[in-house]
Amino acid sequence: MMMSGILKRNIAGVVARRGLATEVVQEPRLKTFKIYRWNPDHPADKPKLQEFKVDLNKCGPMVLDALLKIKDEQDATLTLRRSCREGICGSCAMNIGGRNTLACLCKIDTDVSKQTKIYPLPHMYIVKDLVPDLTQFYKQYKSVQPYLQRSKMPEDGKENLQSIEDRKKLDGLYECILCACCSTSCPSYWWNQEQYLGPAVLMQAYRWLIDSRDEASKFRKEMLQNSMSLYRCHTIMNCTRTCPKGLNPGYAIAEIKKALATS
Amino acid sequence: MFSRGLMARSAAMSAAMRALHSTSKRSLTIPFLPTLPPTPGGVKGDVNDPTYTPPPDKLHGSMHWDFERFTAVALVPLVGSGLACGAGLSVVADSLLCSVLLAHGYVGFQSCIIDYIPKRVYGKNHNYAMYLLTLGSLVGGFGIYKLETEENGITGLVKALWNAGKEDKE
Repeated sequence: MMMSGILKRNIAGVVARRGLATEVVQEPRLKTFKIYRWNPDHPADKPKLQEFKVDLNKCGPMVLDALLKIKDEQDATLTLRRSCREGICGSCAMNIGGRNTLACLCKIDTDVSKQTKIYPLPHMYIVKDLVPDLTQFYKQYKSVQPYLQRSKMPEDGKENLQSIEDRKKLDGLYECILCACCSTSCPSYWWNQEQYLGPAVLMQAYRWLIDSRDEASKFRKEMLQNSMSLYRCHTIMNCTRTCPKGLNPGYAIAEIKKALATS
Repeated sequence: MFSRGLMARSAAMSAAMRALHSTSKRSLTIPFLPTLPPTPGGVKGDVNDPTYTPPPDKLHGSMHWDFERFTAVALVPLVGSGLACGAGLSVVADSLLCSVLLAHGYVGFQSCIIDYIPKRVYGKNHNYAMYLLTLGSLVGGFGIYKLETEENGITGLVKALWNAGKEDKE
């Protein structure tokens, strides 16, 4: 019994020492990333794809890790937004391998024979490299008045209560982080983003429309009663397919249409 | 004089280069239609203002959408019965099929025009496209009238077209 204990400890010691002392010789797994580059300081230069090679053995698993590694070690001028690195802030939304997603939630394709192309969100005005101009998107979000509107607040000055069932209606809507992946994947939004609100904003409009505590639903419905704001949705469903949080904006828009059709 | 000439030339050259290097908008616009200038960054007004919300207009909002769905759903039994009965379909059912089909095409193309020839970009040409669609639909309506009163309706037309090749062969 004691012997085996010593043996175990010995083996553990050897393993620990080996791990520290000998370096495992690994073939570098060089993955090629092609990244969209455009610099506003040289507006006459055409946007181009720049190639970077990253050793996957010395890099984290996500695309954001690779991007930060490139920025740290190869080209400090590479510009991107990022913040939380865990899919909760929505800053690092970009088009990776043809799909709008969050760089921090997107695993690197470990097949090194294939290259990964990274573009900013499609059909947006670009500030620099991978940074799109989201001004219009936020202005649209503001236009749906995404806040509670009531004629009077509870007497005790505390919470506006709602039933468990009513609260359940907000599930799948409130989780949206406004990364704009869905809106910028929508062809209808590409053509008419000056007037069409886009899936992300419409889902938030729906989130406030069905909130049992909100009393402005009549106004909220009325502001969508025109040909552009809501009805440019042709149920293409790119929004639902691309959502990095697994939400369903297409369903929310269909529900708004249903509510407007019967009201 | 010399330096001014050089400067002018270099300015012209850089302008030409910029024109060459700026991303072409041709893929996004209809080639022969003039477009209105876009707003900088696609943004109108202050960055902190909400976007403009058009006044509520049910006719072009929910009613238009409802009508689109209605014609789409109504076409299912109409086309189905047309296929089932062939040329034996009654004149009433046949003319109903024609008119619903026409209405379906009309609202569908209206949506297409709003999508691809928006007033924001093409100005007056948006209206002209709508007028053209209305005119075409009226002509179509007249055609349906002729088809129903003088011919065998749309089912008869389809049947005639279906058999046209066969008769040639025989």
